[in-house]
Amino acid sequence: MNLIPFRTKRTSGIDAGNMATLADFRNEMNRLFEGFFSRPLMMPTWFEQVEPGQWMPAIDMTEDESKIHVRAELPGMGPEDVDVSVSEDRLVIAGEKKTESAKGGNGWAHRESHHGSFTRAIPLPEAVDPSQVTARYDKGVLTVELTKSPTATARKVPVQIGG
Amino acid sequence: MSSSLTTTAPEAEVARRQTTGEPALTYQPHVDVYDTGSGLTIRADIPGASADSIDVAFEDGVLAVHAKAPARDLPGRVLRQEYGIGDYRRSFRLGDGFDGAEITAEYRRGVLSIDVPRLAAVRPRKVAVRVATASGSAC
Repeated sequence: MNLIPFRTKRTSGIDAGNMATLADFRNEMNRLFEGFFSRPLMMPTWFEQVEPGQWMPAIDMTEDESKIHVRAELPGMGPEDVDVSVSEDRLVIAGEKKTESAKGGNGWAHRESHHGSFTRAIPLPEAVDPSQVTARYDKGVLTVELTKSPTATARKVPVQIGG
Repeated sequence: MSSSLTTTAPEAEVARRQTTGEPALTYQPHVDVYDTGSGLTIRADIPGASADSIDVAFEDGVLAVHAKAPARDLPGRVLRQEYGIGDYRRSFRLGDGFDGAEITAEYRRGVLSIDVPRLAAVRPRKVAVRVATASGSAC
């Protein structure tokens, strides 16, 4: 369970920081409650691992009637550096942000950005059709649109009332 | 779940600040600073912004970057929300010795690159040693 939100942006100023942390906490609690009560079937566990030396991009995920939308921030990469793969219940975003070689001068004086390879496996709340996925990379942002699988919804077995 | 519970807190906070006139939520972009000798190259991660919404200013030795962050645009019900909303803002005190008039900035793939050249007077200079021609005294 990922209780502490993974954040790549920091707020400036103590007041703003505190507010954002509070807001985050409330957000996370809402999400947990919502996830816990609104799903009749068992939820996949939000279990994700980061291997040492790797980093994970931040994501937003929403769903509507027929689609699941995912947005990931991957600044400084090209579409050729990003791999998106989809199985029925999982979206995997992987890639590598290439390190620029420090040539001449005094080298890097200060570095904060993420570098190297990353993999993020995102469990999906519902089964999707792996053949109907679109991914777009624009201005450092990857947007993935997944279509919910109609066969998966048919798999739900209604429980009959005993007579 | 009632809709009030699903209202995202950062959005509510942004709206509240707009009505009260408090300063808006801002985020510090991650930056890399590279010293090329003849100047500095600063790279800031500003994913999703557009080039015309980014302001770069240099005044009294302070380089300030401000960019408008795009609004969340994913449709539907929120399942996960890991990044905040608000503008990007960051400033750097570079001190003297930089040429404000020659600063250039470029935005590509969500990364803003700013080149800040040093003033010619403070740039490290390599003096080429020429071979003396034999027109003078022979040695």
